Amino acid sequence: MTDAPVVSSGTGPLKVERSSDRGSVLSWVGMPVFLAVIFAATYLWVQSQELGGVEQRVLTRDQITSRTIQHLELTAVSTLIVILIAIPLGILLTRRAARPLVPIVLGIANIGQGIPSLGLLAVVFVAFGQLGFTPVVFGLVAYSTLPILRNTMVGLQQVDPSLIKASRGMGMSSLGILLRVELPLAIPVMIAGIRTALIINVGTATLATFFGAGGLGYIVYNGITLNRTTVLITGVVLVSGLALIVDYLAGAVGRLLAPRGL
Amino acid sequence: MNRRILALTGAAAMITSLAACGGDDGGGGDTEGILEGASITVGSKDFDEQLILGHISRLALENAGADVTDEINTGGTDVARAALTSGNIDTYWEYNGTAWISFFQEEEPIPDRIEQYEVVRDRDLEENQLHWLEPAEFNNTYALAYQADAGADLGNPESLSDLEDIIANDPDLATLCVESEFSARNDGLPGMEEAYGYEFPDGNVTELDTAIVYSATADRDPCNFGEVFTSDGRVSALDLVVLEDDQGFFPLYNPSPVFTDEVYSEYGDQLDEIFDPISAALTQEAMTELNERVSVDLEQPQDVAEDWLSENGFI
Repeated sequence: MTDAPVVSSGTGPLKVERSSDRGSVLSWVGMPVFLAVIFAATYLWVQSQELGGVEQRVLTRDQITSRTIQHLELTAVSTLIVILIAIPLGILLTRRAARPLVPIVLGIANIGQGIPSLGLLAVVFVAFGQLGFTPVVFGLVAYSTLPILRNTMVGLQQVDPSLIKASRGMGMSSLGILLRVELPLAIPVMIAGIRTALIINVGTATLATFFGAGGLGYIVYNGITLNRTTVLITGVVLVSGLALIVDYLAGAVGRLLAPRGL
Repeated sequence: MNRRILALTGAAAMITSLAACGGDDGGGGDTEGILEGASITVGSKDFDEQLILGHISRLALENAGADVTDEINTGGTDVARAALTSGNIDTYWEYNGTAWISFFQEEEPIPDRIEQYEVVRDRDLEENQLHWLEPAEFNNTYALAYQADAGADLGNPESLSDLEDIIANDPDLATLCVESEFSARNDGLPGMEEAYGYEFPDGNVTELDTAIVYSATADRDPCNFGEVFTSDGRVSALDLVVLEDDQGFFPLYNPSPVFTDEVYSEYGDQLDEIFDPISAALTQEAMTELNERVSVDLEQPQDVAEDWLSENGFI
């Protein structure tokens, strides 16, 4: 067996940000400018439409603000919980003693992501016997654990073993090696996993509206069921825009955290 | 969710039963054989009541001698409507209120059953060359309901007007579960609150999937009141008490068989003769009972439709 990195399959690209991007102006302002243009265009388009009662009710400033906040809360809380669970778990699973457990844990995480999201939320709702924020967050956590877990493991496994041996030779402790050598080198891959999880959660949180937890799905599904195109498109632009913003911010954090000279 | 599973089992059972129902068994009814040589494709939307209505159309047309293609369970409202306007199906049952608000994007419903039907009929004929037959007696509209056991806690409200007291005196009890679209439609919660002059307290309204509204209301978690459909079989099965719409606010949703011009222009008289008595016999009690047999007792929609048609002497 070698220590070569496991190539993750199906959990999004292992996109590694390079620190050389840090200075490029376009990489910093490109996405915000693009989103500003899209949001402005949607706003102007909606303003130019003749709006009926449904549109006036669903597309108010209050509605959009509160639905966006609900959506962000669902995404933020679930992603935070996943980070707190999956990163320590990923670190543990890459320690030599835990090797036999790897297939079991990855198997469970795979099941979480393998079940269709609507079905998973329905199962969680039945299991909880309760509706609202908590069961939906639980479902989102189960659904997005895999990318962070797997990318943490891959990120740590891809660290050149000779670096670890060299550190040990310099007298560093195992914990010191983990904190000062392995994790900094794994961060770009781990951030890529967090970005994948964030995007999954922003998308899946649109289903929360069926389970009493609100979110932007309220706008999207009202657009579908009531056949109001303006409402539908506004909802879709908001959800996709939110996913892109969240991804952009996580990418920016990743760039700042990435070790220099990598 | 339940509904979807039921629809699937319904579709599966449909395939098996189709094999069994070839050939005319010399049934009955006055309209036997009057559509000899006609070829008609029947569709429906994807929930229990629509599956029953679809099978009622199919069986009645078959009994009249038509060669029927079964496209029942075509899809949601938009899919069924698109299938009809494009001619992929020749008929399905549509609700006058749905056409008015969804297809014609009107905001204000018309409170009279016949008037609402007539404006929809005339407009759909003019704009889309679609023919609306006489509407069924029953009305599948919105209502608010609560679990019977909760009555004592809630002061046994009987009508929507009675909610005013609860909201004013005991706002914590005034919790409501709705489908998200109900909270956005003019003919839903906003209009109802306006008509009755009260508003449910902020944060007391929970939006849920349709099927979950029923179970959440029955469990009283998270709400004491739920938005239901008046002809839904789960209302009686879950022992829900429907509040009377004493101001007559909710629009009318009486379904009619809607036919394409291609079929109706050739067989219009026969179709009226077949469907008018059926629609008249589809009363609120009759439809609720049929829905309950499918949604609650899990009988097959085609069996329920066939029983009802033969009991009433239509086939």
